Amino acid sequence: MRIGLLTEGGYPYVSGDARLWCDRLVRGLERHEFDVYALSRSEQQEDEGWVPLPPQVSRVRTAPLWTAEDDGVVHGRRARRRFAEAYGELASVLCSAGTPESREALKAAAGLEADRFSNALYSLAELAREEGGLVGALRSEAAVHTLERACRAPGALGAAREARVADLLTVAGHLERALRPLSLDWYENGGLGSVDLCHAAAGGVAALPGLLAAHFHGVPLLVTEYGVPLRAHYLGTCGDAPVRALLAAFHRRLTVEVYRRAARLTPGNTHARRWQERCGADRAKIRTVYPGMEVSRFAEVGEAPESADPHTLVWVGRVEPAKDLISLLHAFAEVRGAEPKARLRIVGAAAGDEGAAYLGHCRALAAQLFPHEADRVPAAGDNPVSFEEIGDPAVPDLAVAYASGAVVVLSSVVEGFPTSLVEAMFCGRPTVSTDAGAVVEVIGGTGLVVPPRNPKALAEACVALLRAPERRARLGAAARARALELFTVEQNVAAFRDLYLEIVSRTPVRKVVLDQAGEPLPFGAPAEAHVPGRWTEPRPAAGGLGAAGGLGVTDVADGAGVASGASVAGGAGLGGVVSGRPRWAVDTPVRSTGTHPAATGEPVPAGEGAR
Amino acid sequence: MSELRWDGPEMSGGPECGLSRLDHGSSRPEGSVRTSPEPEPAPASGGGAVDPVKALMHRHRVLCERAVDPLEIAAGLEAHGVTDRTAARFRHRDVFSLAEEMYARVPRDPETPPERRPMPPASAPSGGWAVLALLPGALCAAAVSGVRLTHGQPRLVVAAAGALAVALGLRVALRRGPLRVPLGTTGRGGTWTCWLIAYALLGDGLLVAGLTDDPDGLWSLATAPVLALALSCAPALWCAHLLSVRARRKIVASRGLADFADSVKPLLLGVLALYLCALVALLALCGTVLDESAVPAGAVALGALLLLARLLTAHGFPHAPAVVLGAAALTETGALASVFASRLPGCSLLAVPVRTVTDTWGPGAVPTLVCGIGALLLLVHATRTLTRASAHARPPGVT
Repeated sequence: MRIGLLTEGGYPYVSGDARLWCDRLVRGLERHEFDVYALSRSEQQEDEGWVPLPPQVSRVRTAPLWTAEDDGVVHGRRARRRFAEAYGELASVLCSAGTPESREALKAAAGLEADRFSNALYSLAELAREEGGLVGALRSEAAVHTLERACRAPGALGAAREARVADLLTVAGHLERALRPLSLDWYENGGLGSVDLCHAAAGGVAALPGLLAAHFHGVPLLVTEYGVPLRAHYLGTCGDAPVRALLAAFHRRLTVEVYRRAARLTPGNTHARRWQERCGADRAKIRTVYPGMEVSRFAEVGEAPESADPHTLVWVGRVEPAKDLISLLHAFAEVRGAEPKARLRIVGAAAGDEGAAYLGHCRALAAQLFPHEADRVPAAGDNPVSFEEIGDPAVPDLAVAYASGAVVVLSSVVEGFPTSLVEAMFCGRPTVSTDAGAVVEVIGGTGLVVPPRNPKALAEACVALLRAPERRARLGAAARARALELFTVEQNVAAFRDLYLEIVSRTPVRKVVLDQAGEPLPFGAPAEAHVPGRWTEPRPAAGGLGAAGGLGVTDVADGAGVASGASVAGGAGLGGVVSGRPRWAVDTPVRSTGTHPAATGEPVPAGEGAR
Repeated sequence: MSELRWDGPEMSGGPECGLSRLDHGSSRPEGSVRTSPEPEPAPASGGGAVDPVKALMHRHRVLCERAVDPLEIAAGLEAHGVTDRTAARFRHRDVFSLAEEMYARVPRDPETPPERRPMPPASAPSGGWAVLALLPGALCAAAVSGVRLTHGQPRLVVAAAGALAVALGLRVALRRGPLRVPLGTTGRGGTWTCWLIAYALLGDGLLVAGLTDDPDGLWSLATAPVLALALSCAPALWCAHLLSVRARRKIVASRGLADFADSVKPLLLGVLALYLCALVALLALCGTVLDESAVPAGAVALGALLLLARLLTAHGFPHAPAVVLGAAALTETGALASVFASRLPGCSLLAVPVRTVTDTWGPGAVPTLVCGIGALLLLVHATRTLTRASAHARPPGVT
């Protein structure tokens, strides 16, 4: 199968986001062929080069997002009018307030708005594809003028009505940057037009090429989101109210459009999933696929019998204010009160200047809370709290850091996907953590969770674990088992392998089938291939934590299942691959009679199924 | 509820925008970190007189006032550690619905526009280009004095080297600063510019020689206008900087595109007038120092033409300047060629137009007319294009 992997400021660049995950995915699925379509974020990123690519990456096409070459095409009158119409529609959608009273009206209006947005977006894309010159047009005065008119139109957002020339220019410039993927020459038949599946490594702008491939060629789109780009946009945005309002509207609508068009969405955790559902993603399309992590480096520690000092607490991570080490130190002071032999090791480097300042503050607080206690701890003679970094003689690597503690503590206030928690679980260490981000879904029942910013609760949980070695061992073993089940690279790769097959098997054949002479073959694809319909029985969706990462447990049917000759041909083979769907192999209501399997021009599922 | 408290400015958002400004409770000094934890008071879930959401809104006042939609509040709340479980204490299903309530309850007065942040000032003159602007003038002065002090073969060498040095100096001076050609557009007027300047140096002498059959004046150099033009690089760059700074200020100040166009037009004309004043003064000075004729009108027109062409190119409109410069250079060359061609037998008619012009207004009239018409054309073009806001969107020279 040929996969178009879409990234933005990520894989294959050395400094890219999520490059590790992409690299493991590409290496793990060596039977597939990958075409990487990468948007780079800065000149520096391009200069730093690529990571080494495995042979299954057959080609890499890159385009800069930080600069755009104006192709010099000057639009004629008709093209100018087309642009003005499409851009005007886009601008008026962005400026429209859209706050009807009732909930039903709201829903209907949202659908209408989404349709208008997508129409405008695809009109611009078609204009760029047919005429070129979109970059120049987006930068032109006509664009700014259109935007101004939309802002001044009756019924526009209150914030948009306040927009001044500077705001209009900022918004127009931002839109020009965001819409740069529309001008790329990726959507021809040799490029994204001929892949079987687009896999966007992030939502937002990264998925824009996938949207266009879906629009022009009907290529199915799979979107993986380990973070939520929309949320990041809200947190990172700055400027005056009109700018923020218009840009937020653009990114929100783009996100909604991506979620609407995607065949499947794979959020990395429940938090991302909630945002996707909130932005209108169909629940039936969503599969949570947890990120996978390398287990081997923790195997030794995890499998060895507990060798740690039974009084040591360990915190591992990047030192930054969101980790709330202050609370941890206060909690530890209370732990010391109950367990005088307890020690706390804080392992991690400061992140940035802010982190360094925070680390300094924490050190000062530690010195203040635990003054020199040589009289009470004669053996060690030093402060019971130690600040270390990976690479110090005492902690040569991460595994040793986790191994040195009886309990691993996490005290974050804000947390995304807590890597250090997963690593601790791999090491078979019991954990005490605060309820933030994806902590609860990661930890399951294999550790103690306390409210954030509550040193007392944290201290009580730590003391409880320090005093109960058997409970520690039990929790540690359970944690390791859970992590090995859910958070390994293998489960991640396997989940995507299954998803690829599932999506392609459900994608209707839209390409014209050719015979040996290259002539279009009449009736090459059966008529049923074009009829949307459901060919598995709908079953209640089994969501929630138990199904986490376990693909194929949740059933999908709504609107996505479109039978095709090709997918039926592959169905028998797929039955063995997609576990949890035993009806597939037996229950094939649409049978493509009279179709030669090879003539469908879509040999993919059959070939994959045979694997 | 105390778990919602956020200590100090430490957030992973941008350094000056975004979350670091969300710090609520102005009483808490920036950077202060709680050193003594307080015990957790139960949230006001008992249904007392206190409205718990109101307290929460007070705590996140800045976030609520700043938010443009409920999702922004939701994102901000989550960044402050509010989870669905916290939201449940406010009797909401999740953070989103809590954020919706908060967004709906923020008092919004449609009459008072939201406060605006001051626009970051246009790039301060880094000094580098402002000083480099003097380079062409200095090189040209050196070359002119070299040419004046030498004779014969060395004079030719000095003149050639001087011309080359001035051309390079001009390139260096224009590579930075407000007249820099933006990335992606190619300035195509370079050759024509050299041609026009060469005519300013030699053209009048050649024309007179051609018309009067006087071989002595064939290579008389008009150094004063060229020197003045080279020196005027500095005022040109400073004027362009003034234009970009003022235009950016007007972008911030004006409410609509039409307002902006109206306010930029006088600015553009004023800047051009300022430059012309400086050029005339320099021409007068150079004429006095080098004992040449008084201010030649052709040089003034050429200066205006070159400045306008460069301004247009620097703001992303390279097409018209290239055409106009090319046309002007070709017209001047054609005038010279017609004069010399009229010496051929039977072609005397060719020189009639040029002869009429020079007889009426003198030999300097040819470049004055050609460059003046070109400058006027470009001025009309500039009043239509440089008054667009999009032309000033990116400060030239910074990109």
